Amino acid sequence: MTTETIIQTENLNLWYGESHALQTVSMGIPKNRVTALIGPSGCGKSTLLRCFNRLNDLIDHVKITGTILLDNEDIQCSATDVVMLRKKVGMVFQKPNPFPKSIYENIAYGPRVHGVKEKSELDAIVERSLRRAALWDEVKDRLHDSALGLSGGQQQRLCIARTLAVEPEVILMDEPCSALDPIATAKIENLIDMLKQQYTVIIVTHNMQQAVRVSDFTGFMYLGKLIECGKTVQIFEHPKEELTENYITGRFG
Amino acid sequence: MAEKFHMELSQLKQDTLVMARFSRDMLHDALQALIEQDTEKAKEIASRKKQVRDTTIALEERTYQLIAMNQPMAKDMRVIACTLKIITSAERIGRYGKDIANMVKHIKGQPDFGQPVPLMHMANQVIAMIDDTLAAYEVENLDRIAGLSFRDDAVDSLWHSIFRETLTFMMENPKTITRSTYFIMVARYLERSGDHACKMAENVHYMVTGERIEIK
Repeated sequence: MTTETIIQTENLNLWYGESHALQTVSMGIPKNRVTALIGPSGCGKSTLLRCFNRLNDLIDHVKITGTILLDNEDIQCSATDVVMLRKKVGMVFQKPNPFPKSIYENIAYGPRVHGVKEKSELDAIVERSLRRAALWDEVKDRLHDSALGLSGGQQQRLCIARTLAVEPEVILMDEPCSALDPIATAKIENLIDMLKQQYTVIIVTHNMQQAVRVSDFTGFMYLGKLIECGKTVQIFEHPKEELTENYITGRFG
Repeated sequence: MAEKFHMELSQLKQDTLVMARFSRDMLHDALQALIEQDTEKAKEIASRKKQVRDTTIALEERTYQLIAMNQPMAKDMRVIACTLKIITSAERIGRYGKDIANMVKHIKGQPDFGQPVPLMHMANQVIAMIDDTLAAYEVENLDRIAGLSFRDDAVDSLWHSIFRETLTFMMENPKTITRSTYFIMVARYLERSGDHACKMAENVHYMVTGERIEIK
């Protein structure tokens, strides 16, 4: 089975001031697959994730060299429309962060920004997005209630639905379950599995069992370097690098 | 927590080695009792079967618990997978020892062939294969099992040779049929034990390298 690459980094380096946070990272992200980034705290996995939608632009003193291709186009160049980039590459964060608005408005917000005005069209987007995020049945009768009244797990699925509303190609997830209980986590994990039919998912997780459960490919990072990247089964059954072996078997440090 | 798990895993490995060597001794001692026609010794060897069975169950239980509690991955997972296979093969080898020991009372006093059959020689080959495989498992180094396939070929040749030889004895003198039939079974059990050594070695290879190979 061949898989098309949707994102490709070549010799990607990133500095936060003097600190060299990403060191010559070259990695391909397969399309319509789930890729997990694992590694100890501070290894650069969230930094790498944030390169894919240029969220690091918002931080002062950041310097980036190398290329990041999305659909074969360099997203680092000045001509890139960052708003369009972030529409293509959505993101879900560690803690659910719904807007203090109704469930409906949370979903409709993005499409409105991108010019959708027709109510019937917005209604359809809201329903489709909530269905894809496996939340529709739980909230269809209270779409105009505040999103802040939802449980943590529901809020996180709402954030995923909000991302889906603008039809992204890639969804970045930075520890999406670490603030959730096991049942809510299981629902998000099932959702991730469904999402890969239509989207490419890149997930950063501290939980290696979660990486095993949800991902097709895994990249292991350490001290800013991508140490090893491959099929999840291979990484967790017989990693090629001793460093990876030591990390996933808990023999680190 | 990882440290506790690795200590338990290391202890499981050590205890598996003790059990496997206990089974190996049963096979070795059973052959000696057979050659010496020592029924008392044979009886004692057969009685060791209970310990093998009990230890097998206890070791398997501990292995399942380690999996359930720690979800081992990579090398840890491969050590556990290999250990389970070794426990199974070792138990089988111990049971062959018991089966051979149980034959001693039936063979004792039966007409002899007048010339030796190389059963002890064959047993020594097989036991050396088991020893080397267990040593490879213990130190996680494949050097001692590198030529195992050729050694298994030699054991297979001995099995065919003993089979043909005893058939000849039976044809020449039907009074030797009882002894001959038992000897063929012993040779067959030894050949099977050699195969178990190869199976264990395949798993040790997987444990060390992550690659599957076939030793035949």
